[in-house]
Amino acid sequence: MNETLGTLLIIAFVILGVLHVAPGLIWLERRLLALWQDRYGPNRVGPFGLFQVLADAIKMFFKEDWIPPFADKATFILAPCIINVTALTAFAVIPFAPGWSVVDMSVGLLFFLAMSSLGVYSVTLAGWASNNKYSLLGGLRASAQMLGYEVFMGLSLMGVVLMSGTFNLAKIVEAQQNTIWYCVPQFLGMMLFLIAGIAETHRLPFDLPEAEAELIAGFHSEYSSMKFGMFFIGEYIGITLISCLMTVLYFGGWDGPTFGISEGLALKLVQFGWFAAKTFVFLCLFILLRASFCRPRYDQLIAFGWKIMLPLSLANLLITGAALLALE
Amino acid sequence: MTIAFYVASAVALFATLMVVTRRNPVHAVLYLMVSLLAVAVVFFTLGAHFAAALEVIIYAGAIIVLFVFMIMLLNIGPPPSTRQESLLLTPGIWVGPSALSVLLAGLFLYVILAGGRSVQAGSYVDAKTVGISMFEIYFLGVELASMILLAGLVGAYHLGKRDLPDEAEGGNG
Amino acid sequence: MTSVPMDHGLLLAGLLFAVGLAGVLVRRNILYVLMSLEIMMNSAALAFVVAGARWSQPDGQIVFIFIVTVAAAEVAVGLALVYQMFKRMKTLDADAASLMRG
Repeated sequence: MNETLGTLLIIAFVILGVLHVAPGLIWLERRLLALWQDRYGPNRVGPFGLFQVLADAIKMFFKEDWIPPFADKATFILAPCIINVTALTAFAVIPFAPGWSVVDMSVGLLFFLAMSSLGVYSVTLAGWASNNKYSLLGGLRASAQMLGYEVFMGLSLMGVVLMSGTFNLAKIVEAQQNTIWYCVPQFLGMMLFLIAGIAETHRLPFDLPEAEAELIAGFHSEYSSMKFGMFFIGEYIGITLISCLMTVLYFGGWDGPTFGISEGLALKLVQFGWFAAKTFVFLCLFILLRASFCRPRYDQLIAFGWKIMLPLSLANLLITGAALLALE
Repeated sequence: MTIAFYVASAVALFATLMVVTRRNPVHAVLYLMVSLLAVAVVFFTLGAHFAAALEVIIYAGAIIVLFVFMIMLLNIGPPPSTRQESLLLTPGIWVGPSALSVLLAGLFLYVILAGGRSVQAGSYVDAKTVGISMFEIYFLGVELASMILLAGLVGAYHLGKRDLPDEAEGGNG
Repeated sequence: MTSVPMDHGLLLAGLLFAVGLAGVLVRRNILYVLMSLEIMMNSAALAFVVAGARWSQPDGQIVFIFIVTVAAAEVAVGLALVYQMFKRMKTLDADAASLMRG
């Protein structure tokens, strides 16, 4: 009974937490982008412009929710739901602190990969259901891009699996506590995963599916009101998810100095604090990447994925396996 | 877990029936995805967690996306192809094959249920065990599978080329 | 791990196979034929996994992986063929491709 209650608490905590992190990120992104581009950003509504997000949300809620008559209605509504459901479900396997995860799944890493591969449908179906040629092109780009980048995302993670010998995320963190953070021995794998993660969330260097200049916002040009809002929030949930995984897989998860606290809730909170701090760094990294890169051409993007990243991730897997066998 | 098995089975059967009866190809593909996810749940209840994850990653997440990609690439919207489908789905055409399939399903029912012995299935087999026996006992199978994938890669690359020489005019091109 | 009778798992596989077969026979749109083939392959894989779970052996899941491999290769080639066919004949009707030439 107590265990069930604890799990329910964690679920509520995760959903509420993530859904609040996403709008916070929108504000953070606008402020940081402004900082790096030498301007102010939103600073009028509330202290530091913090209520700007709230104002935006209210605007979005009260806009007309319009479904174009030429759209395929059921699929049109389904598409924005998929991106949120898959991203939020993937949070179920993330260990925030020892014992603090919704499920302690033996194939947790594969579960994350499964959910991220289902996320492709959202963008693709949105593009198809809008029945608009720009949206269709955006959807086509998204499905080809995600298929290509998912392949080496899975392969780049296998280096971590080889070193820790498990798919269980909590056990991967423990293995790092006992040896070394995997960002050192798996540096190449980490970079590959980061690039694949940006491509999966189609953030700026890889945001070809929505390229405003050529596709008029691509797959979501027909979306308005909260349906657009769900794509928007879904993108930030995706970024949070990838940042959490970077922390868990390569930067020791909750591992960090505990300041002499050795037991009880206080220890858990300190460990969770470390986890949150590391995740925050990666969130800022995502925003910095957006501020500093330009968009490649589409054929360059696909060629980069298949011709450079895929061989590199295979090489990483081969070298990791050989090194582990040699050290055994 | 037992209930999950039966619910997932019902969903899988229903979704699969919808796949073969839909007129809009994208809807059919979506039902196919639901069916595969339900089968993944069945795998999970049977204790095959690794297979369940692979079913979602490879089948639902890659193979079905290829279908969606192809439908979008050919841009077969509802109007013309739906009319064509309706013409092709007149009772005279589908009654015979359906009867044959029902007969086959009945045979399966009879053979499987007439066995009489009901043994319990469902025990957890972890990914490590699968991997170890895959690369020890089934080593040759892995090599063969890689060759099949290579053949598929080369075949798809050749057939997907934009300007395939037209054999009707170009002789034995 | 609570368990279900092995027969029921096999039964599900059999029924899915029959539905897939019906799809292959009834539909003339080549995309649906390919989808129905996927259903049939998947149901065969399901039967293997059920059997593997019955004897708690990894073999069922290994055969499942092989079947997925074959399915992936088959879909890649099959969809490339569909693409070529649509480009030449402007239709997805499988009967249109019944001639050996032209």
